[in-house]
Amino acid sequence: MARKDFLDIVSLDRAEIIHLLDQAVPFKDLFTRSVKKVPALKGKTVLMLFYEPSTRTLSSFEVAAKRLSADVTIFDIPHSSVTKGESVRDTIDTLQAMRADYIVVRHRLSGQPAAIARQTNASVINAGDGAHAHPTQALLDAFTLREVYPEMEGRKVVIMGDILHSRVARSTSTILEKLGVEIAFCGPGSLVPQTRFRRFTNYEEAMKWGPDAVYLLRVQKERQDAPFYPSDREYHSVFGITEDRLERINDEGIYVMHPGPINRGVELCDAVLDYERCLISQQVENGIAARMAVLFGLKPQVS
Amino acid sequence: MSTALDPSAISTAIGRLADQIFLAAGGSSVDLIGIRSRGDEVAERVFGILKEKGANVRLGILDISLYRDDYEHLSSNPTLQSSEIDFPVDGSHVVLVDDVIFTGRTIRAALDALFDYGRPAKVDLAVLIDRGHREIPIEPRFVGKTLETDRMDRVDVSLQKTDGKESVEIITQ
Amino acid sequence: MNLFLQGGEVATENEAPQRADVWIVDGTIKAVEVMDVPEGARVVDCSGQIIMPGMFDSHVHFREPGQEKKETILDGTEAAINGGITGVVMMPNTSPSIDSPTVVKRVLEQGAKCRIPVLTSACITVDRKGFEMAPIAGLKEAGILMLTDDGDAVPNAALLKRAMEYGTEFDMFFASHCEDPQLCGPRALNEGPVSYRLGIQGTPALAEEICMDRDIRLAHATGATLHIQHVSSAIGMETIRWWRDERGAKVSGEVSPHHLMFADEDIGDYDTHYKMNPPLRTREDNAALLQGLKDGVFRIIATDHAPHTEFEKSQAFVDAPNGITGLDTALVSLHDRFIARGEFGWDLIVKRYSAEPRRMMRLEVAEVAEGKPADLIVFDPNKETTFTKEFMKSKSSNTPFLNKTLKGSVEMVVLGDQVLLER
Repeated sequence: MARKDFLDIVSLDRAEIIHLLDQAVPFKDLFTRSVKKVPALKGKTVLMLFYEPSTRTLSSFEVAAKRLSADVTIFDIPHSSVTKGESVRDTIDTLQAMRADYIVVRHRLSGQPAAIARQTNASVINAGDGAHAHPTQALLDAFTLREVYPEMEGRKVVIMGDILHSRVARSTSTILEKLGVEIAFCGPGSLVPQTRFRRFTNYEEAMKWGPDAVYLLRVQKERQDAPFYPSDREYHSVFGITEDRLERINDEGIYVMHPGPINRGVELCDAVLDYERCLISQQVENGIAARMAVLFGLKPQVS
Repeated sequence: MSTALDPSAISTAIGRLADQIFLAAGGSSVDLIGIRSRGDEVAERVFGILKEKGANVRLGILDISLYRDDYEHLSSNPTLQSSEIDFPVDGSHVVLVDDVIFTGRTIRAALDALFDYGRPAKVDLAVLIDRGHREIPIEPRFVGKTLETDRMDRVDVSLQKTDGKESVEIITQ
Repeated sequence: MNLFLQGGEVATENEAPQRADVWIVDGTIKAVEVMDVPEGARVVDCSGQIIMPGMFDSHVHFREPGQEKKETILDGTEAAINGGITGVVMMPNTSPSIDSPTVVKRVLEQGAKCRIPVLTSACITVDRKGFEMAPIAGLKEAGILMLTDDGDAVPNAALLKRAMEYGTEFDMFFASHCEDPQLCGPRALNEGPVSYRLGIQGTPALAEEICMDRDIRLAHATGATLHIQHVSSAIGMETIRWWRDERGAKVSGEVSPHHLMFADEDIGDYDTHYKMNPPLRTREDNAALLQGLKDGVFRIIATDHAPHTEFEKSQAFVDAPNGITGLDTALVSLHDRFIARGEFGWDLIVKRYSAEPRRMMRLEVAEVAEGKPADLIVFDPNKETTFTKEFMKSKSSNTPFLNKTLKGSVEMVVLGDQVLLER
């Protein structure tokens, strides 16, 4: 890879993506060993800079870094201290003093990880910024889909939910598109913007299109000032995977994915989690391998 | 540049390795683990010969990219492949196989990798070529051929499956 | 003072530049014609250069009182001179706001110390909060002509209507920053593919258009004279045209250089030098606004000069304050982007960036004509200007033209019997 940073999927070409996916395979194979660690990043420091709460992404990165024998420091940033006027430069100065080799950043503001990357020699990994990008999620999603469909070219995936506010929608749609997958978006009209992808505002229409997999997004009520849809209950009945819809999904062998955390009773009913083609737990497992591949593949410029 | 070994010399050396290992095993089971790359091809061929002799032998491949000590000096990290060790390593007699031993660092990395798979009862080292200039106190028990080289010489091993041809060449810098 | 500008072309608002020499004595223009060098005059070689009236910028933010770190009235006027501008109108969103005769007096006193005239607008509502009417009569007495809550729209239509009904009696006019407060979101950038790509909630052009519609109808109904500031949307521009031409509403519009030149695509990788309010829209809007300028839909050009410190502009895109500077760069950039490429001529610039702005403020139009007071600049279309921090006179340098080199240069500024600038 020879890049310093991993900030988004848009800047990667198809060859790089495939290389990364291939690199993740040996890392996943390590999980079956009793010693899951390798000394690849021994002596290196990985700093977790999470301005936004996230247990699963944080712990996934932590495990990935530790399995590479890196030293992990979690920079605890109380949410109340993220105020206006906090300059990216102030943060950088602190980081430089800590001499981290890798910095994993999650931030509520789009573009912040890139701003940090420009100003530090450490390798910066974007763990999610605003509604902009979540490249490691995209990588593990592509990896998971490739496990069930090794030839991804021509497959169809519909991404369903709050597309407008979702960095996962943006990154995952981009990575799958680069791998030859056809993408469609589906959701309430107020939450699905016009983009280069097919747009559905009706569940049944989306399913008629014949997707091989349905990728559900968490519907994010907390980010909405004026409501985008009447209620979670109505969302579930109009767009959620109800038990009826699950039956038809099951009949057609369609895979179901979700980046987590799930909203039970909103995006999906509980039964989906027991559906044999639900890939949610594989996604979580693959997350560690994908993140190990990313960490292993970057070149910090810290001397 | 000089050709140190031609195809028939290589075959002879591989045959010698197999004989030495067969003798040392004395009928007990032996796990050949070849170090990628080329150590795996040597191991495969030794495995073939041992099987013909009726030895109790298993074959595995070890990828040591994640155990190297020289990342800092590479502009981009090596391409990884998975190791392929399908049997438990605990309590076994492992013979690590590589094409060339030089400073010994590769073998050290291989030992680190191997021990993360389990705890073998005994580990021996078999190499096709020993070119001297050790920097780590590691010695092979089984050697196909010893070569006199200068520290700065390059030794290029080509094997049929990996490289499409068979030769060992010493390139003087 | 006896100055002879020799060899240049004189630009006016009605025709292409004509070859003429300009002779100025003690602050008055004695002659504008091809002639021999008068006895005792200092000759300035203006061959290949354009001589035109000084520019006038009706929309500038000098951050005094309250935020002098970004700009002071003095620095702002020096930036104006540097850009060939010999008169400005300040906006009242200072701290405290210019919403009372006391603050007006203070600002005008500071202005009087500067080398060019400084006018100011004042708020429609107290502290631009949108609840109480500002003391309009007192403001009129203090010399105010333009009332605006610029920086924000007046959210309450009833209040704006009443202010218009009341204020029109005082022969003042209203200016609007048009923006629907509920549709505007975080006021970061235009809603569209770029806001989607960057993952930031955008502001649709609708937010501006709806408010423009509202304000123009209110003005039409109350008989008020209204000026729409910094128009960014093509549809919004059409609204002005329609009400003015079809319904006889007393409405005028203004466009800034950046809304003619840049689009949201130029934001690139979260570059805050392309962040202002109203935001940059699309290339189609650029083209439509340019055509509107040529067709006379816009009465004037104004920069909305908005200085901010480097620290502030280096914040995350959503947090960084809106605005770019404009005084140092406007005229050169308009030449580089439009005149040099044959889009329009100097007559349009003289009309829209010098004559009409002065008429709007009921001032004498500056002219390069015999008998008129000297208020003129010399522009060299063949030289280049590189906008380094050192070159620009504004205290702040938040402009997309920072360190860029553009075609054209303001060579000289003469006001009265003073040569304010000579390169």
